[in-house]
Amino acid sequence: MSAVVAHCINIESKLGVPTVPLITHEFYTQVKTHHTIQKGMPGLRVTYLISPVWGKTAERLRKDIVSKSPVSGKMIMQEIAEGLTKPLTAEEKKTGTVQQATGPERYTDTPDKLQQLFMDKRMTDYLPIVLPTEEKVAEMLKGTSHSPEEVVGQMAAHTPMPGENNVEVFEPWSYTVKTVAINAVMAGARPEYMPLLLAVASTGKEAISVSDNSFTEGLIINGPIRDEIKLNYGLGAMGPFSQANSTIGRSWNLLSINAGNCGRVGTTYMGTVGNPMNWNHVIIAENEQASPWQPYHVRKGFKATESVVTLCEGWGVLSAKNSKYSVWQKEMDFPGILKKIVSDQDTLFGALAVLSPPVANYIKEAGYDTVEKLTEYLLAPAEGQRAPEPAAKGPARKGPGPFGRLQINIVVTGGANNNYWSYGGMACRQSVPIDKWR
Amino acid sequence: MKWHMCAFLIAVVCLSLLGGLSAQDNLANAQGKAVEQKITVLSPMGRPPVVQLKQMAPRLDTLDGKTVYLVNDGYLGTDILLGEMQAWFKANMPKVNIVYREKGGGGFTAEDPALWAEIKEKANAVVMGMGH
Repeated sequence: MSAVVAHCINIESKLGVPTVPLITHEFYTQVKTHHTIQKGMPGLRVTYLISPVWGKTAERLRKDIVSKSPVSGKMIMQEIAEGLTKPLTAEEKKTGTVQQATGPERYTDTPDKLQQLFMDKRMTDYLPIVLPTEEKVAEMLKGTSHSPEEVVGQMAAHTPMPGENNVEVFEPWSYTVKTVAINAVMAGARPEYMPLLLAVASTGKEAISVSDNSFTEGLIINGPIRDEIKLNYGLGAMGPFSQANSTIGRSWNLLSINAGNCGRVGTTYMGTVGNPMNWNHVIIAENEQASPWQPYHVRKGFKATESVVTLCEGWGVLSAKNSKYSVWQKEMDFPGILKKIVSDQDTLFGALAVLSPPVANYIKEAGYDTVEKLTEYLLAPAEGQRAPEPAAKGPARKGPGPFGRLQINIVVTGGANNNYWSYGGMACRQSVPIDKWR
Repeated sequence: MKWHMCAFLIAVVCLSLLGGLSAQDNLANAQGKAVEQKITVLSPMGRPPVVQLKQMAPRLDTLDGKTVYLVNDGYLGTDILLGEMQAWFKANMPKVNIVYREKGGGGFTAEDPALWAEIKEKANAVVMGMGH
């Protein structure tokens, strides 16, 4: 994610100062074929260094800068000096506008060939799709009262941190209600999911982040819509055991790929090892009926009768049994185990605890009858452990690493058959109402 | 006469082949393998923005006597890298005035208006890293 390119383009065009951005060479394709073009300066003079820079000693970096660029083959320091002094070419001086093409509005062929065409054009997640015929899309559009041509939002492969003064690294694409419906058809969704899908789409949050960290996304869904669209919040709640659970994340994915230009490996996707949760992400319908606490969305200020979706981002979730603190014992101290696990989370995203009803009720009976009380306990310093920093608005410190302080999200879902639960590093930053998209 | 006979035989062979194909189609239909019909589907793509090309800054005639800012965007290890570059300039291009700065703002993408103002006033050129 080359914010450096965006900053340098602004310095060149707004301040009139020549620049040479330094980029690690594995990002060449992204920078050359995407960033510099989308940001309007295809001639930007970039010098590429051997990937990665992070983790190398001064001695190693000293050798790197007096070697040849892995991209141009020129000596790196000489290339930098030349980049600042060699006169601009006619091509580099070009001004005007560039139209970006996305292909025809319709495709006609046999179903098998269309499946292949959609895959070849990278308009899928490489799983078979439901082909979006005019009839199927019209049926999907019956799931909302909004006009098919209404612009729902804009999306890019990287959303700047909320509430900050940030440079846009990727130029956002726009999409309509109809675009959301087309991608929902492809994902296998049903018309009644449209209000939820439109609410998610209206945020402009991408389902597939460009980050080399290989993030995944999550949705926490509350309110009456859970039952209306038959989301599973019982046994196997986070698994592929209902049509709604299985296709909502995929719909968001396909929308991101096709309408937000996300997830294109080498340009708008740079996840080093990838993330298997990216297929459908972490979809959580809260088991409000079995939770001992107020529903998640009520704690965020919504009415219990409202349908609300909360968007989360981070590393994903895994079973708490994976933690060394959660060893099977005859008697379990779930509040204590949760506290130890939470305290060990990195502050980049904080902690998301997905508690099954038995574990949540155990914790309540241990004295934590509100999530606020529980959170206060979890954030208090434990003996022999560092104190987690409380959540704070804005960045905790500059530079890489933790961009925020510890945020704890507690949600209850799943069956009552056993004391299992999950946790992960996921930040839940925005909750949006669904009902206005009905 | 021979030519007429050849034409007759070719016609017979062609008709036989067509008949054979038709029979195959009938067999495929009978087995539920009808020839696929073409259908029309809608493109799922969004609308990209129109890109406005931006003006690159004029280049310097020389770096000698000029002030070059080495700007650290905050990526891990960039301080070490730019420190090595500063040392290289001192050893190999001593007439270049190098200034090292760390961009503030709280993240890679964050703006730093104070630094941009300083660059506009004092810098002749900028080298910024690390994009990754």
